[in-house]
Formats: sequence, C-alpha cells, structure tokens
Amino acid sequence: MFMNQFEYFAPKTPGEAFELMGRLGSKARILAGGTELVILMKDRIIRPECLIDINNIEEFKGIKYEPGKGMVIGATTKIADIQYSEIVKRKYYALADAAGEIGSSQVRHMGTIGGNSCNASPSAETPTPLVAYGATVVVSSATGEREMPLEEFIQGVRMIDLKEGELLTKFKLPEPSPKLVGRYAYMGARDANEIDFVNMAVTLELEDDKQTVKSVKLVMGSVFIKPLISTAVTALLTGQKFSDELAAKAAEATQGEAKPITDVRASAEYRHEIVGVLARRLLKEAFGAAQEV
Amino acid sequence: MGAWDQRENYVREGKPSYLDERRFTQVGRSVPRIDGPAKAKGESIYTADMVLPNMVYGKIKRCKEYAHAKIKKIDCSKALALPGVLAVLTGDEAPNKWGIVPASANETALAVDKVRFYGEGVAAVAAIDEETAEAACDLIEVEYEPLPVLLDPFESMARASEVIIHENAPDNIMHKGDQIYGDVDKAFEKCEYILEREFKTGRPQQCYIEPMSAVASYDTQNGLLRLWASSQVPHYLHRQMSIVLEMPMSKIRVTLPTVGGGFGGKGEAASSEFVACLLSRKLGMPVKVTYDRDEVFFTSKGRHPCYMKWKIGLDKDGYIQAVDFDNTLDKGAYAGWGVVVMFYTASMVHLPYKVPNARTHVRNVYTNKPTTGAMRGLGGVQPRFAMECMLDELAEMMGISPYELKMKNAIESGYTAINNMYTPHTEYKKCLQTAVEKSGYLEKHGKLPFGKGIGLAGGYYITGTAYTLYQSYKPHTSVTIKVDTEGGVTVLCAAAEIGQGCNTVMAQMAAEALGVHYEDVHVQTGDTEIGSFDLGSFASRLTYGSGYAIREAAKEINEKLKAMAGGVLGCRADQLIIKDRKIYSMFEPKFTIDWATVVQKYVNSVGALIATGHFSPPRRKGIDIITGNRVQGANIGHSPTFGFSCQVHEVDVDVETGRVYVKKVTEAGDCGTAVNPMSVDGQVEGSIVFNMGAALYEEMKFDANGKHLNPNFHDYKCPTFMEMPDMDTNIVESYDPTAPFGVKETGEGAVQPTFPAITNAIYDAIGVRFYEVPITPEMILKALKEKKEKEAGCGCGCS
Repeated sequence: MFMNQFEYFAPKTPGEAFELMGRLGSKARILAGGTELVILMKDRIIRPECLIDINNIEEFKGIKYEPGKGMVIGATTKIADIQYSEIVKRKYYALADAAGEIGSSQVRHMGTIGGNSCNASPSAETPTPLVAYGATVVVSSATGEREMPLEEFIQGVRMIDLKEGELLTKFKLPEPSPKLVGRYAYMGARDANEIDFVNMAVTLELEDDKQTVKSVKLVMGSVFIKPLISTAVTALLTGQKFSDELAAKAAEATQGEAKPITDVRASAEYRHEIVGVLARRLLKEAFGAAQEV
Repeated sequence: MGAWDQRENYVREGKPSYLDERRFTQVGRSVPRIDGPAKAKGESIYTADMVLPNMVYGKIKRCKEYAHAKIKKIDCSKALALPGVLAVLTGDEAPNKWGIVPASANETALAVDKVRFYGEGVAAVAAIDEETAEAACDLIEVEYEPLPVLLDPFESMARASEVIIHENAPDNIMHKGDQIYGDVDKAFEKCEYILEREFKTGRPQQCYIEPMSAVASYDTQNGLLRLWASSQVPHYLHRQMSIVLEMPMSKIRVTLPTVGGGFGGKGEAASSEFVACLLSRKLGMPVKVTYDRDEVFFTSKGRHPCYMKWKIGLDKDGYIQAVDFDNTLDKGAYAGWGVVVMFYTASMVHLPYKVPNARTHVRNVYTNKPTTGAMRGLGGVQPRFAMECMLDELAEMMGISPYELKMKNAIESGYTAINNMYTPHTEYKKCLQTAVEKSGYLEKHGKLPFGKGIGLAGGYYITGTAYTLYQSYKPHTSVTIKVDTEGGVTVLCAAAEIGQGCNTVMAQMAAEALGVHYEDVHVQTGDTEIGSFDLGSFASRLTYGSGYAIREAAKEINEKLKAMAGGVLGCRADQLIIKDRKIYSMFEPKFTIDWATVVQKYVNSVGALIATGHFSPPRRKGIDIITGNRVQGANIGHSPTFGFSCQVHEVDVDVETGRVYVKKVTEAGDCGTAVNPMSVDGQVEGSIVFNMGAALYEEMKFDANGKHLNPNFHDYKCPTFMEMPDMDTNIVESYDPTAPFGVKETGEGAVQPTFPAITNAIYDAIGVRFYEVPITPEMILKALKEKKEKEAGCGCGCS
C-alpha cells in the first residue's frame, strides 16, 4: 500500500531530464501518468530510489498534425487528450477509439500515451492501433535520437528497447491515405474499466471500385507478448475483391497466428475463439466504412 | 384466508379520512434522504476519516504464504525495534472465540496456532503512522508448518480422516441438518411430472465501497472503551467485543459514523475492530485500523457457494406435490453465520409456492477459503435460482407457460407452510401478473429470434427474523421518542444506518405516528449508548421492527398530548386527532390547536415527553404441521411477514462471443406500504444489478494453493454504469394489516429472482439451460458448440 521513500525530480527541459538520467542511471524511474508505475510501487513490485517526472517538459507533449506529413504525438500527451482530439478522430479514428476504452475517465486524464507503450502490457489498448497505423517511436537521449517502429520498440511483456539514458519522447504517425479507414475492437467481461481479453485494430483502403482491397493491416493485442501484426490477413485480402467469405477465411487465419495464454481473465481457448470473431467483424466493419469514404 | 383478501381496493370508500389509518401523509412520500445532502457534498464522516488526538495506526500482518498452516513461531522483535512502533499484538493475547452465532463461535481476533485461509491475520502492529505500521508488519517473522489445503467442500469431507480444519469438526462439517415434512417418497409416486437437476453457485462478495475501518479509544483512567466502526451490527459487535476483551458491555460504547454499505458483509464483527480495541487498551491511546481493498477480499464474508441436488414433482395439473433438496455449502474457514445460512436455504423451499411435502438435507463444510457469511438475500438466492429454473423447465415439460405454472402454485395471504411458516399477507400473484403484463412476457416468450430471450422468475424474502442469534426473547428493537421545545422530535435507536435508508424511513414513520412532518424529525441511530436497543441491520428487519416500536412509543406521547389539548380546548381527548402538525376534534373543527402549542404547554407544565416502544416478533414453533413434531432448525426462516418480487429479464446473447447483455428488466414488488417509494426504487434497482453481476461475472478466484487471484476491483468484475439495463420497477398495491403502517421488506426480496430470470432468459435466447452461475461467455460458447454438435447428430442415425 505504501511506496518506498524516493527522491522526486521534475525537470523542465529535455536537457535537464537527460542530465538527471545520466547522473541517476538505473536508480531512477521515469514518471509520466503514474497510473501503472504508482501501482507497481504501492504493491512493492518496484522500489525506485528516484523518480523523474517528465510532465513539465513541453517538448514531450502535445498533438501536432501537419497535412501531408502526418502526426506527431508527444509521449506525455494524456490519453484523454487523444480520445477527445478532433484531428485524431478524423485522421486516426481507431486510435481515438482505443484511447477512449482505457480504464476509467480518471485514468485517461492521468495516463499518457507514452506510458501505455512503455508499460509494455500485452493487453494495452493504444499500441494495437498505433502499430496498425504504422507508428514509429522516437527514443531520445543526451547524445541523440533513435527512431523505430513501435512493434520493435515493444519487445515483450514489460520489455522495451530503451537503453540507459534514453526516453521515449514521441510517436510519429504517417499521413494516412485519404481513403484509409481504421477500426478498433475489444472483448472483455464488461464495457468499462476493463482489461481486454483480446483487442484488435484494422486499417483498410479500397481501390476506386470500392470492392478491391488496396491495402489492409490487422494488428492483435493481448494474444502475444506484444502487438501482433497479421501477415495472413494482408496476404489473403490485398488485391482481392472483399467478400464475407474472404473475411471469414482471413479471420480464421488470424486464429492460427495468435498465441494467447490462459490467465485469471480468460482462457487461451476462449481468446482463440474471440480472435476469429473480432477479426471477421472488424474486417467487415472496416470494409463497410471504407466503402463510404 | 384473511379478511384483506376479499378487498381489491385499498382506498376504502365511505371511510372518513380521519378514521382511516391507511391514509398516510408522511409515509408514502418520496422525500430526499436525511443523509443525502452530506453525502452528495462529500461532507459525511466515515470511520476512516476520523482523527483523534494522539491517535496511532494499527496494521495487521497477514499470512500470504499458505491457506492452511500451523503457526510454529512468531517473532516480533524486529518489528518492535523499528522506530515509531509502539506495540505488537498476537493471537494468543486474545484467544476468546467470537462469532455471531454463539453456539458455533470459533474465530479469534488474530489466528491462534493455525491459519485456515490465505490472508488470515497472524499479528498486528500499532505505530505512529500507517506507513511505519506496514513496514513493521514486514519485519514480523512467522514460521509455519504447511498443512494440506482443502478448497472444495467434497474434497474436504473426503479427506477429513487425513486433515481437519477445526478440532471440533472431525468430519470437516461445520453443521448439518435434515428436515422432513410429510411423505415425500409417497408424493413422488403420484406425480405426473418429475424433474431432477443439480445446481452450483459461485463465490461473489458484497463489494461495499467503504472498506472496514475501526477507531478504538480506551481510557486507562476510567476503564471505558469507545469504538467507532463501519458495521451493520453495533449490538452484536458490542457483545463480541465484551467476550474477546473480557469487559462488561456497560464499559464499551460502539458508535457508527457514516457507513458506506454493507450488504451483509459488515453483518458480523471484523478482525480490524478487535485489533483496534486490543491495541488501544494496550497503549491507552486511540488506534485506527483501516483495511486495504485486498484485506477486504481476504476477509470478506461473501456468499456461500452451494452444490445443490433437486427433485421436484408435479401432479398432472401442475400442482407441486413434493420437493427433495440436498445442499452442500462451502463454509470457508470459520463458522460465522453458517448455521443460519444453511437452514435458510432449507426454509426457502416453502415459499412462495405451496409445497405439501418436502425433504431437505443440508450440510455446511469447512474449506481453506475466506469465511462465507451473510450476503444480501442470505440463504435465499441459491435455492431460488434452482427452484425458479426448474419450474421454468417443468412448465416446458407440461407445455404451459412458466407464468401459468407459477400462478397456479403461488401462495395466498394467510398461508401456513408445512414447516409452520406463516405468511400473513402476500401480493405475490399481483407481482407475477404486473411484471408479466408490463413486460409483454407472454407475447415474447418463446417467440423472439435466436440470441434474444426473455425470462421470468419470482422470489420472496423475510422481513426480519423471529429469533435473536443467542438465546433470548427480549424485544428486538426499542425506539425512544423524545419531544421537547428545544429539539422538537428526536427518535433514538441503536439501529445501523448503512446506506439502506433506515434513518429516513424511521423519520417518516415517526412523523406519521406523531402527526407532524418528516422534516420535523431528528433521528439518532448507530450508538449503543444513546439509542435504545436494536439488533442490527440484517434480514431486512428494520423498517418493520422500528416501525412497530415507533408506533408504540408515539401512542404514549399522543395520549399525553391529547389529554393536554383536550383540557385546553375543552373537549374529550379520545375524540382528538393529531395530523399535519395540528390537534383537532374529529367531530367539531372549531376545536383545533397547533401541535407545537400543545407540546409547549405540556413541557412547561410537566416536562419533556419521552416514551419508548418495543418490538418483539411473534414466536412460532418450527414443526411439521402434519405430525406436530419439532424439526431441527425449522424455526429459521420464520418472519413476521414477507416481501415478494417478480422479475422479467430480457437479454441479448452474442452467440459468437458468448457475452450476455441484460437489456431490460421489468420488476414488480410487494413491499407492503412503500414508506419512501423513491428509496424502494433505489433498493430494487440496486438489488437487480447486485445479482446481475454475480449471475454473469462476479467471482472470487483462487489458485490450487488457495491464494487469491483477484483481490481487487480490477479483476473482480462488478457491473459498471455501462452494464445498467433499462429498468421498469413497479411497486404493487399492498398493505399488510398485521404490520406497522402495512410495511414489509424490500432490500433483499428483489435480489432473489435475478439469477433464475437471467438464466431462463438465456435459455429462451439460445435454447441452452445453465445450472451454474456465473454464466460466463466461455460457458455460453462451449454450450453452443455442444448444442450444435448434438443437433448435427453423432452420425449413427440415432438422431
């Protein structure tokens, strides 16, 4: 229930943050929203000596969209800001949708998009649509920056590609094609404050005939150690005329790709079933939406 | 049949209003609750909010290694050496056993010699702050010798020769009983329709928002102990404290600050309360102990899982002839309410349908899990689930509507069940009828598209018990009413307002009885020293019990005021009426005087008016009414009167994901006179959502070693706002002429039909009957798959 004693730092600039990180090394943990970190500390799973609160660093937050170039989202941008952002809803609908499904309103106003990825929980909501939109992350340190796809940044359960002295500072989302639609879906026991059994995002674009799939990408969450991109869906649907049969076939293929586990929330068998159902429904929903664009 | 049966219309024509005791002005008002504004503003003080001068903090060291182990050694030296630690406490310092039922009391403040469930308290610390106390707990070293862990009641019975949980229960059975009424076997022989089924229920808990908290302050000068606690049962807590601390009750005062819900979970004492008192007595300083949510889960006394075997027989016309019921309950680690809950499950066979022959075998079995106890609708929910589902199935066997079958068998006012349980008044049939008509059940049942379903179920619950939990026939509730020129009307009763609204309805009933307004009444409850005696908030007893006592007390005050007013007005006192803050002659309107003026005159000439009324429930023998023989435990279940409810649930089943969505609930309830209809609606809606959770997802989960897997609200799923169905709750016209103001219960009757109504609706939706709750999406998908395979046939042509 009670956290250990720790020293608290609140740098105002990236330089100050990197200096602190360099000086404190592994003694320090980064505090963003705290909705995961503080729980781990209260449960005494981690006992960091220092916390570096990066919320006061303006450079690390905010949503910036430049037509034709895409969007940059700062790592400490609140989940609620993404949920309610008009431009996110318009350009990256599935991301706004997923953001709105995280925890409770209180959690969404505290939690950050960077934290949702850095926590690297397989059931996290936002990494799934972010990967579907082809997001990359920018990892910064005193010496420079690295950029990599989010699915490479997240390496496994609670494992991320962050070296000592490095911080996740922003997400870059490529400009979506004007005809690209994105959809998100999840399954849990209830519809609020839920930790998903399975979640899923699809991006899909149709040719001018409104029937043929020009591009499609399906990403699954909570069925593998990290967001799982379906190669089968892309292979089966790309260049094909969309049909319910094809969607069913593609959905079946995702079941072969998913590697869910059994835990207190759901069994592997059930998750396996749900992957197929969500994939089929989501593909059809995305197709319907893409026809309307 | 009572005289009230012939009367359909409750507004009795031709009876002048001043002579009609049922034309209420204060009872029946949907007034806002007394405790509402402070709660809405966040100004209510809960126990955990309290800070006393010099107060220190207690924390309990819990066994997180084993669910069953001998305690070899407890070493507190390192904890005591930690700066800021003031005292430690171990179980052997207070070994007296406590428990709400004295005959089976077997809990101690902290574990003595042995832990019997995961998370049981083994020691406690008092320190200058909670943080230090928690750190000190980590420094306490306990040496255990693990014992085999028994998590399943059948395994527990089977392995009793090898391992026992309590020394005095060599078969691991806490208590068992057989109740036989009439000739069940002979009755079955004559039955046209016989159905046998097995049912199983889950392990939900109450999920009150406020965790247990206790502040104790022992004064070393005068030897007085004060305890502020989050409890439903200040009296039983008071009594247990006296036993464990070996102090006379008169030296202990229990006070309830605002209580944030209980639903039965605070219906017995808690370890936090003993620990706070023991540490305070040790230190001579106030001590506060507040549980974290996981501690609530570890120690919560949730609902008994039941493993039930049922056999019900109907004659060719559909009348129930015999019921055979066998129930194995999972008691968890300690006795608690066990005997009572067990025999309640047996008594539930006898209502709300006429059962001429019945046989029940019940046993409550110890396991190494948290103690099960009293949870909203205790002992009723599990058997009601089974019986209402079976009647649905039997109706199908007969080819009639479940509604018709239930109407046919429903009891009427004045019914005496075979176990001598007497129902003075019921509008159960009206409940069935109203819910069915308002929901369109008959038009929809069996006719909705695949995946959509509608289900009907009924139920009832007691309105208070007939007996105290210890051998005593004293009044169960006493209410003192004080009327003076300073405070106006004050009602004093040691009842427990736990959020159910008793203070509000007590004020309404007192206002009605005294002829003043609800707004004129102050209510002082929740203090064993200030209030007159009350047993506590459980068994939906308080509206009836306090209503009776209020009426008695008010009668005495009214007589005095009438005598005074008669003298002032110059008319006969027995011709005076008190209503609407006035005292007036029922014959000559010119004789009228303000109530307050008379009070003033009375106080000036005599002094303040004080009167106490008492309520004792009627006593009835627990016998087989045919033979007249006494039956063990058969008086458990008797009640002054009973509340009834009928629910129709409409569900959507997602046949691909297995998710069940309760879309609409139509409820009709007989709560007698609704003292506060708005509160009744709240209770009923709360009841439905409460058990909707336990029907679909609420479940405490344990691993093979008895460790909790979901002791938090993250993974223990309660319904949220998103799951709220559309609700149509209806209060049927009802007045129990034997009850004060015609009242009955409403807080627990409406939880009874929820499991079976949802289960029957799922059957209507997908054609699969479930005999187990919670009905999870995984179970739905599995059942649908099996159904599909079965329909496809096995390929051998046997169809």
